[in-house]
Amino acid sequence: MDSSDKKPLQPLDESRFQVSPWTLRVDTWMGRLISFGGISVVLAVLGMLVFLVWQVVPLFTGAKVTSQPELRLPAAVVAFGEDEYGALPFIGLADGTIKFLQSSDGAVTETWTPELAGRHVSAVRAYSRQGLVLLGLDDGSVQFAKITYRVEFTSQGDRHLSPQVKLEKPLTVGKLTSPVRDAWVAQSANGSLVVLQQELNGHPVLTATRLLERKGLGGRVTVIPGTPSVVAEGVTDIAEVLVPSTADTVLVRRRSHEVLVYNYNENTEAFALTQTFKPFANTAQPEISSAGLIFGNVSAVFANRQGAQEVWSLYPQKQPDGRSLRRWGLIHEGETLPGVPQGIFPAEGNKCYLVVAGDRLQIRNMTTGSLRWEGPAPKGVQQVIFSRNYERFTALTSEGKLVRWKLEDRYPEASWSTFFGKIWYEGATEPAYTWQSSSGSDEFEAKYSLVPLFYGTVKGTFYALIFALPIALLSAIYVSQFLRPEYRNIVKPVMEIMASLPSVVLGFLAGLWLAPLVDTHLISIFCVILILAPLGLLVGAIWAGLPQPWRRQVKPGLEFVWFLPILAIFVTLAWQLGPWVESLLFTVKEGQTGTAIVDFREWWRQVSTLGYDARNCLVVGFAMGFAVIPLIFTIAEDALSNVPQSLVSGSLALGASRWQTVWKVVLPTALSGIISAVMIGFGRAIGETMIVVMATGNTAIMEANPFSGMRTLSANIAVELPEAPAGQTHYRTLFLGACCLFILTFVINTLAEILRQRVRDRYKVI
Amino acid sequence: MSSTPTTSTTARGEPWVWLTSLGLIVGLVMVAGLLSLVVSEGLRVFWPETVAVTELKEGRAIIGPMVQRRIRPGSPASAPVYERQYQVGMREVNGQAYQWFDESRVVKESFPAEVMGLERMENGPAFVRPVRLTNSAGKVYQATEAAFATELQNEVSRAAGIREKIASLTKNEIGDLNSQMEKSRIDLRRAEDQHLPVEPIKARLEQLNQAYAGLHDQAENLQKQAGLAKLEVLDAAKNAHVIPLFQIVRAWSPNQLSFGERLGIFFSRIGEFITAEPREANTEGGVMPAIFGTLAMTVFMSLLVTPFGVIAAVYLREYAQQGFLLRFVRICVNNLAGVPSIVFGVFGLGFFVYVLGGTIDQLFFADQLKYNNHSPVFGTGGLVWCSLTLALMTLPVVIVATEEALGSVPRGMREASLATGASKWQTIRYVILPAAAPGILTGVILAMARGAGEVAPLMLVGVVKLAPTLPIDATAPFLHLDRKFMHLGFHEYDLGFQSPDSDAARPMVFATTLLLIILVVCLNIGAIYIRNRLRARYKSASF
Repeated sequence: MDSSDKKPLQPLDESRFQVSPWTLRVDTWMGRLISFGGISVVLAVLGMLVFLVWQVVPLFTGAKVTSQPELRLPAAVVAFGEDEYGALPFIGLADGTIKFLQSSDGAVTETWTPELAGRHVSAVRAYSRQGLVLLGLDDGSVQFAKITYRVEFTSQGDRHLSPQVKLEKPLTVGKLTSPVRDAWVAQSANGSLVVLQQELNGHPVLTATRLLERKGLGGRVTVIPGTPSVVAEGVTDIAEVLVPSTADTVLVRRRSHEVLVYNYNENTEAFALTQTFKPFANTAQPEISSAGLIFGNVSAVFANRQGAQEVWSLYPQKQPDGRSLRRWGLIHEGETLPGVPQGIFPAEGNKCYLVVAGDRLQIRNMTTGSLRWEGPAPKGVQQVIFSRNYERFTALTSEGKLVRWKLEDRYPEASWSTFFGKIWYEGATEPAYTWQSSSGSDEFEAKYSLVPLFYGTVKGTFYALIFALPIALLSAIYVSQFLRPEYRNIVKPVMEIMASLPSVVLGFLAGLWLAPLVDTHLISIFCVILILAPLGLLVGAIWAGLPQPWRRQVKPGLEFVWFLPILAIFVTLAWQLGPWVESLLFTVKEGQTGTAIVDFREWWRQVSTLGYDARNCLVVGFAMGFAVIPLIFTIAEDALSNVPQSLVSGSLALGASRWQTVWKVVLPTALSGIISAVMIGFGRAIGETMIVVMATGNTAIMEANPFSGMRTLSANIAVELPEAPAGQTHYRTLFLGACCLFILTFVINTLAEILRQRVRDRYKVI
Repeated sequence: MSSTPTTSTTARGEPWVWLTSLGLIVGLVMVAGLLSLVVSEGLRVFWPETVAVTELKEGRAIIGPMVQRRIRPGSPASAPVYERQYQVGMREVNGQAYQWFDESRVVKESFPAEVMGLERMENGPAFVRPVRLTNSAGKVYQATEAAFATELQNEVSRAAGIREKIASLTKNEIGDLNSQMEKSRIDLRRAEDQHLPVEPIKARLEQLNQAYAGLHDQAENLQKQAGLAKLEVLDAAKNAHVIPLFQIVRAWSPNQLSFGERLGIFFSRIGEFITAEPREANTEGGVMPAIFGTLAMTVFMSLLVTPFGVIAAVYLREYAQQGFLLRFVRICVNNLAGVPSIVFGVFGLGFFVYVLGGTIDQLFFADQLKYNNHSPVFGTGGLVWCSLTLALMTLPVVIVATEEALGSVPRGMREASLATGASKWQTIRYVILPAAAPGILTGVILAMARGAGEVAPLMLVGVVKLAPTLPIDATAPFLHLDRKFMHLGFHEYDLGFQSPDSDAARPMVFATTLLLIILVVCLNIGAIYIRNRLRARYKSASF
């Protein structure tokens, strides 16, 4: 500004270019806020998977065991047990004295001695779970001592236990009057069983007696021993006796490593030998060194000197005479133990067991064979008991100590093979993939194989796609390539509305309207489906053969309007044809009367020997197809109609017909887009829930039969999660199912998305 | 395709074109068929049909409209046995309201004019021959008298008035008292536990009890008042029954009605369906609580999903650094829309209900947990968790729609705004968001449509088949986010598949289906309409 002679220019008003600080501050803060909000929304959304995985991970962790202070015992102990809380263990001495110890310091709080009127105790056995001490006496009788704990809460909320021991009346159950060397008792819902071991001429004699309970006046229960029956008569080399809690069986292991099974016979009221089996018969070392029953008492684990394990279980087996009887059979061969097995002790409430092998302790699951925990064993473990809630276990050692552990193993039945492996469950006749999550019984073992659910999912999806793919893809081709544009604007919203139909509506219509219809008119429906494709081609061919003036009547892009009435006529005809076809092809003789009946369902049952359910795969496939068609249609139509016009024009200009253009140019170009559409449809069908819940029987079976139902992962979650208690194996298994669904659909959709992106890039290049 | 030259003027491959047109036809027919099935079955429920008196072979007669005819399940296809289902009504006599009869057993059908339909509070509808009416003043009218019909209608509307009074009494006042008593009981337990004075609380409880007894008496008196009027009828077997008018919701003579009268009943039934509470295990009455619950949940969900979805989309489109990571995030968010809804339900149960709800209970309702038998407040399914779960589920829909809308705002508008000196936020706030608003709205409406029709996740996080109270009512704090609620979709599932008498539930399921479809289709058409207008607008507004 050096021209001083001129009128000086107004200096620029700097403030005009200044942004108010308020605006800037708002701008910065809104930027931060939105970034923060945006990032946290994205993270929250992605955090979903993290949360699901976090819920599932505990399933695959082993047991956590912490050792507790040991208790030094005041005398030589032959039996011991615990209360529910593990606060006041009791020990049984050889003379029948029972002492209660404070679990904190081992101090004896109470001592109880039986009053036996001159007789002497010759055998003691404690049943911790039942709070029962069985005393065998020297006159051949037994007496039960029942231990009950009275629980009181102090004003501070502390628990105070006071034990009470009640000696019941002596029971004379054996034939002999010689001293009882050992005694066992089994209590089940349908009776009790007492087994005694006595001696006669230097040989052991086993006597088993059922105890009958009579309810007297005033609800008093008197126990009356039934007829005693000698078990394993003549067997002199008894090594071990196992008495399952079913109270109708005695297993006797001989020193020759044979196991004899004696079952109670209701008619003869005696125990008779029903089976002899020999574990490790096929191995070089058939010497059994340890054996133990598993909770539920229909399975037993045997271990030989080499540390090999075998699980034998009671399950229905075909006998030579054709009958099917429950017999013991080998169901698992476990992993080899780290040393010579010294004892096998069952856990409570599940199928785990503790095995002492060499100087190691192992907790293993019988069903899956998985190792839950391993740790060092104290010296000379004689006996181990688990608490009823499976939260503690205690070992009695030969050094006169009670060694105690706290156990945290909330998912003992879970393992990789539980969910995805073929497992031979006890009581089953063969290894299988089974899903059976709940039952009324306490000793029921839940079965959590996800394989049948995956199978059902894939099966349902398969039928849905079979039905949906032709319709969706054909109509996508027609709408994008041939249909007049003004109709496209109607068809697309209609398809969108179809996509928005709630699945509960489709499920309801499939289950309550379609299923009965399919049930009675299956063959008619098949006829209609079968004529559709040939009819389309035939009508096209006839039309193509017509003289040109006639053909001109059908404007290109309006074929479907002309087709509609023809289709209506032929569909009606095919529908009417159904019963005729059925009588022609599917006549069978009825099983009992032998009269010939025309019924496809009966025919299918007889010919395929598979079942026929009214709510079957076809119904589900049809209903799910409804949900999937619009999805596939929309994406495929998009991919097809976005094929660059230059390609189409070029092809047509070279003289290709419109179909040749579509077949040779458009479809190959849009192929990956179409594949992506199919994948997205697949993803949707996999996760469909309500339709499956409502239109299938929801039975978790694995058969390829198209006329049976299934249970899918998603339906399984919807049906069972509301009843599953939070945090337990069942609950977490359902989360695992959800996780699988999430990952499966996510992967499929991502692949589809990548394909779509590639198509888009390709179109850009062209 | 052969390469030999041809003289035909027909283009190659035309049959295939016809085949593809078949696909379209099948698709369209399926949609049309489904919609017409639902509409016809759904509307038929409300239409007062003529009622036949059917005489069966063994001398038995039934009164009731025929509902459907089918081949008996299990009967061989070679010799199908047809059977008919009649709505015989009068569950107290017939056991089941809907019964099947072999067609061969039907001897004669007639449509006598005197047959009357009664909709009742209990035991379902009844189809009877009226004998005489005793009105509330004690005056007796024979069915043959001319004044009978008008007097009956008067008494029916009078009974309706009394029922309404009792309902409002029990629902509002007694309901209020109940919740106060519940509170006082918790107070009492707390006071006893903490050695606080219990006398005032006990006194208050006593007072409440007395108030309750008073209201109870009042309700009983009202009912007694209504109990005087009664209708004597003959059932199909000519046995006499006395039906108190208090029980009758609607009475009509199906075989005498003119078309206009039928239409009147039709609409009045639709009105009842939409505005009334359900009766008789949801198989009769209306679905008002379910409509209300669905709307409340959907609205609350859209209030949650809109801000979060829009913020996330604005961040992704306007603020985040574009690059590989963003592309990955975008794909992830996109794909979340394809994750099955049940997975969201599982997440909602595990995280919202147990983790979040459990924590809220621990922090704010520890007291209530302790003194109310450990019944959780937020640690169980409820409206808020349903809304949150569905909001999470529909978040991708809103994000994708918003991003698309933001992206399609013409570049010129954005640049013009920045050129005039507006800050980035100002541009977004005053130019981009208003321009994108219809697109965002479309996304929100689509999300609402998806949310309204979704059932599977809701089953896990708080929908019940019968909720005693609405999630919004007159007791403070008015909006009860912790309450379980009813939902149209779940209502349909429950009625159709969990109902003990599925035949009796069938009409209601179809009506509910129709309602649900109307709701969802309307939302979708709205979204489509807005989107089409939006396209037109951008076409004209492009620079």
